Amino acid sequence: MTVSAPAFAQAPNDAQIASIVVTANQVDIDAGKLAASRTKNAAVKQFAQLMVTDHSGVNKQATDLVTRLHVTPQDNDTSKSLKEGGDKNLAALKPLKGAAFDKAYVDHEVAYHQAVLDALDKTLIPNASNADLKALLVKVRPAFASHLEHAQHLQASLK
Amino acid sequence: MRALALLLAAVLTCATGAAAAGAARKPATVQIKMDGMKFVPAEAAVHSGDTIVWTNTDVVAHTVTSKTGLFDSKLIPPGGTWKYVAKKAGSFDYKCSYHLPMTATFTVR
Repeated sequence: MTVSAPAFAQAPNDAQIASIVVTANQVDIDAGKLAASRTKNAAVKQFAQLMVTDHSGVNKQATDLVTRLHVTPQDNDTSKSLKEGGDKNLAALKPLKGAAFDKAYVDHEVAYHQAVLDALDKTLIPNASNADLKALLVKVRPAFASHLEHAQHLQASLK
Repeated sequence: MRALALLLAAVLTCATGAAAAGAARKPATVQIKMDGMKFVPAEAAVHSGDTIVWTNTDVVAHTVTSKTGLFDSKLIPPGGTWKYVAKKAGSFDYKCSYHLPMTATFTVR
C-alpha cells in the first residue's frame, strides 16, 4: 500500500501548509475512530485511540497557532489529495472485519505516517516561512516518528 | 514560671537542632521534561525527600507511569506538570503508558 502526497509545482505558502497539517491530522483521526470502534484486537484498539488523542491534540495546537497568526488555511492539491486518500482508506476499511481489518488499518497507518514524515521533511518544514509555524512542525515531527515506530511494531505482530 | 521558661528553652533548642540537621541538605526540586517524545534527562539521580517535577513541553499528552505500579501521573496534557516526592531509595523505571518507546529511570539515594 502506498500513500503519497503530490509534489508541489511551487513551494506551498503558510496558509497552504496549515491546511495540509490540519487535513493530515483529521484523516488519521477519522481512521482511528473507525478502527477503535471496529477492532477486537486490544493492541490495535489502543493504537487507534492514541491516534485520535494525539492527532486531535496536534490539530488543536495547529488551529490555535494559525488563529493567533491570522492565517486562514487554504485548500490546495496536497490537502485535497490527503482528504481523498483518507476517504478511500475509510471506504476500503469499512467492508473488512477481524484480522483483515486490523492488517489493512495498520498497513495504512505505517504508509500514512511515513508519507507525512516525508512531507514534513521535504516540503512543509523547509517552506514554512513563519517561525512559529516552522517551530510547531519541527515539534510535531517526533510524534509522527513515534507513531510510525508504534505502527511498525503492530504490523510485525500481526503477521 | 521558671519551669515554663526552661521548657520553652528546651523546645527551642530541639527545634533549632532539628533545623540544623535538616540544613545539611535541603530537599531539592529536580526538573524532567517530556520533549520530542522522550523524557529528558532519561536518567536522573535524586535524594530522598526531593521533589521531581515532570513538565510536558511536547505537542501530545503523556503519562509518568511506574513500571512496577508505584506511581502513575495519569494524563499530563501539553504544557502540564506532575510532581512526585521521592522517598524510598532505589532505582525506579517508568514509562509513558501511551507512547511505547518513552522510558526512563530515576535513582533515589
